[in-house]
Amino acid sequence: MPGIIGTRIRALRKERGLSQDGLAQLFGFKDRQTVSAIETGVRRVTADELLLAVEKLEAPLEYFTDPFRLDGEARFSWRQSGVGQSELAEYEQKASQWVGAYRALAAQLGRPAPLMRRALGLTRTSSFEAAIDAGERFADELGLGAVPAQRLAATMQDELGILVLMVDAYRGISGAACRLPELDAVLIARDEVAGRRNFDLAHELFHILTWEAMPPEHTEDTRDFGGNRVEQLANNFAAAVLMPRASLDAFGAWSELEMDALISQLNVAANELDVSSSALRWRLVSLGRLTRTTAQAVPEAALRNNGGVTEEAVAPPLFSKPFMDVIGASIDQGHISVRRAAALVGLSNEDLQDLFEAHGLEFAIEM
Amino acid sequence: MSDVDEHRAVVLVDANVIIECHRTGTWGALAGGYRVETVEDCVTETQTGFQHRRREEEIVLGELRASLAAEHAVDNRERAELAIRIHGIALGKGEESLWAHALGRDDEWLFCGPDKASLRCGVRLELRDRLVSLEELLESVGHRRRIALRRHYRRR
Repeated sequence: MPGIIGTRIRALRKERGLSQDGLAQLFGFKDRQTVSAIETGVRRVTADELLLAVEKLEAPLEYFTDPFRLDGEARFSWRQSGVGQSELAEYEQKASQWVGAYRALAAQLGRPAPLMRRALGLTRTSSFEAAIDAGERFADELGLGAVPAQRLAATMQDELGILVLMVDAYRGISGAACRLPELDAVLIARDEVAGRRNFDLAHELFHILTWEAMPPEHTEDTRDFGGNRVEQLANNFAAAVLMPRASLDAFGAWSELEMDALISQLNVAANELDVSSSALRWRLVSLGRLTRTTAQAVPEAALRNNGGVTEEAVAPPLFSKPFMDVIGASIDQGHISVRRAAALVGLSNEDLQDLFEAHGLEFAIEM
Repeated sequence: MSDVDEHRAVVLVDANVIIECHRTGTWGALAGGYRVETVEDCVTETQTGFQHRRREEEIVLGELRASLAAEHAVDNRERAELAIRIHGIALGKGEESLWAHALGRDDEWLFCGPDKASLRCGVRLELRDRLVSLEELLESVGHRRRIALRRHYRRR
């Protein structure tokens, strides 16, 4: 843990506006080299020095020792609607623990995040057409096939090294993108309908792939249209990823359909593509397959829940297979105790066992 | 594993052990055969709502405390001493507190905690000879169980 303690001391020193000389003075060290050695992990911290840090920097002991904390390291962008700041901050703490645990445990298992990140060459001044083109090429180059929603999460995890977590979020939270120095994560509220989940996933993917060029706001409203420029680019990208023009054209000529037939086909196609009928409608407009006037004439109620033809969907299991695989392997190798793991995910031992099974992982908790 | 023949030796137990003893009806035998001690956080974890079990054991706080030889508080110094020595091992709060307490003792004691991460902690602290399974402890006091212990509580 010297690495973690040193890193946290440095983070807090900077947060407090102290130089290494200033911290040396505060701690009673004779020179700043000692501080430097501690911060870089060259020198191990003693228990006395750790207690000194707790006292002088006025932070709890766990701040310096808990490897799952992400204080000051993570940047989140929440897609939400009407969630209070304190509520969001509380949920962000929980989410931080999941992402932080995955980062720490995966590294111990020898499964670090990819060394290099993928990025899209888009900026705030890019056109919507450029975002659409990027979405279509992304789906094509990564081989997402005719129904990209089915493979998007796995592709993000396997090909891009992005941690994707299906979570039980507070009411009003749809999802989030999270940026760490060495790891990206996307959280999706699993109780949303499939079309909403998939759109959120593709939307957050855009933020991950463009974070440096156009870092997203800490919070944004959940909506498929409007918002600031970055959100509009993200929505155009998401629509293009999830709804390949070839898949849409396979349904024939959209513009020639009567209203009833159009509504029916929108709902059928949306269900096949695991997207919402409403998002599909606007994708068809952007592709020139429908006029804006026709799209606006479609009654909202006729598209709600994809026309009501969607059967009561079963939410995907909590978190993800890669996440649970790391938790299971870490329990097995003694990096994390069952009790700590259960507390981390907020489940009983038995529910934890069931979750492993839900992800197709063989792991027995006999405790 | 340690020689556990000597009765009334001090045994430090975590919440998992207390819960398993209550599930199998062996708490009386253990607490009667040894000086069983724990820490405050572990006692909290034995109570309803904190057990992390779907079917919780009914462990009456007053009765539990009366049967323990000692229930220790753990301070920041003890936690700091532990933290700098077990980096990379993430324990539950009670498990961590129990090891922090154990590390500060200078008398003889045995440690009974079933989790692999807790056992790794003992090995890391070069205290492997203090580790003992619940099965060994119960056998040493001649207790014959009617309900089988779960795998992690058996001799390994």
